[in-house]
Amino acid sequence: MKMFKLIALKRHALTAISYLIPIVVSAGFCLAIGSLFGGQVMNSFHDDFRLVDALSTMGVLVLGMLPVVISTGISYSIADKPGIAPGFLTGLIAINIGAGFIGGFIGGYIAGYIALLLREKIKVPHWAEGLRPVLIIPLLSAFAMGLIMYYVVGTPIAAFTELLMNYLKNLNTSEKIVYGLIIGVLSGIDYGGPINKTVVMFLLSLGPNGYEPMAVMILASMVTPFGMTIAYFMQKIFSKNIYTHNEVETLKAAFPMGVCQITEGCYPIIFNDLLRCLIATGVGGAVGGAISMACGSATPAPAGGLFAMVTMVNPIQWFIALMAGSLATAIILFVLKKRVNLDDNNELTIDDEKDIDLDAIKIS
Amino acid sequence: MNIIGIAACTAGIAHTYIAKEKLITAAKNAGHNIHIETQGTIGVQDEIPDELIKSADIVILAIDVKVSGRERFADKKIIEVPTEIAIKSPNKLIKKIEEAISQ
Repeated sequence: MKMFKLIALKRHALTAISYLIPIVVSAGFCLAIGSLFGGQVMNSFHDDFRLVDALSTMGVLVLGMLPVVISTGISYSIADKPGIAPGFLTGLIAINIGAGFIGGFIGGYIAGYIALLLREKIKVPHWAEGLRPVLIIPLLSAFAMGLIMYYVVGTPIAAFTELLMNYLKNLNTSEKIVYGLIIGVLSGIDYGGPINKTVVMFLLSLGPNGYEPMAVMILASMVTPFGMTIAYFMQKIFSKNIYTHNEVETLKAAFPMGVCQITEGCYPIIFNDLLRCLIATGVGGAVGGAISMACGSATPAPAGGLFAMVTMVNPIQWFIALMAGSLATAIILFVLKKRVNLDDNNELTIDDEKDIDLDAIKIS
Repeated sequence: MNIIGIAACTAGIAHTYIAKEKLITAAKNAGHNIHIETQGTIGVQDEIPDELIKSADIVILAIDVKVSGRERFADKKIIEVPTEIAIKSPNKLIKKIEEAISQ
């Protein structure tokens, strides 16, 4: 029973992240394009401004709203429609008091469960039934969340966030390399999945302090497609066949996706050989991350792939780090992967399949 | 056996569709009828037709996130798993479902 609860908690976060991804990507690209043509973030709209200024401003504005998206998403996942109002409000308060992403994340859970509780427990006389969803539940949940955010959880979270910021601001070079290494591994290791998105949100919540690790994150998302492509050429040079015909076809689509920082195109290859790919990606992310961080490459854009280079400080160093990381991924992959026949189709038989963990299945 | 289900993952562009393909292949190999709806980031695709819901013996939800339209399966037997299981062990999952149904 406890297991189901944990799965449910995770599902709420993943649901919120699934709403977040298109928003992060669109805003990130707007910011990247704006920055490419020298767009400036505007504070006043009285004077003339250019389209690129609007793009940059829009990108920064939307990326700053992510605590709202995350808390609304979590709260909605928990309590369905009644969760939206308190979740929205909670995210706005989190921004307001400087509790940022962490505040939105924790607040979203509290808001959702409060809304759920009110929805289940509040009974009203028949004449007030219509008021329950439009007035009573939203008002009570908003009131409760306001109190909780401003008076209870908000201050410690804001203090913690500030502490974290100060710590990250004052890292020395060797600490930076370790930091880059960790961010590199975490961003790469689940191929654009929930861990990667958590890293993105965490970095966004750091504001300007997150610019250097953000460059690492972009790089780590790209080492897999780049590394796999390099490994493809290595198989030609060293005549050790590591990809099947199907996998080569997959790679043809996966590489251009990788240039745009989308790792998902590599999934079919990854799933055929999960463990070896994981090791290769982890090493590549770590190598690239450490180099990029040591060189001080930085970017405000959380998306954009190679195109994000235009928004970067020290882009050349970043590109070298990317290449070094990809090469590391390629070499590890090439050494670890078994020789395969070009025409194999990697269909698993039932005996090859992993046993199903009964705890993860819910039958009702 | 008539199987229907939904696949939905976090990013909504890859796992969702791989899970769908794996489930369909595994179910067909075991001789079952199957229809899987996907709820990716693009929205609902291949929506389950009403008559299939009526005739379904079991519903598979291979989902990592909240999905819409669960109320359609109110009186059905539902098996809920993360997409990962449908992708890694589709044949074993179908076997488990056969066992669950026969109980």
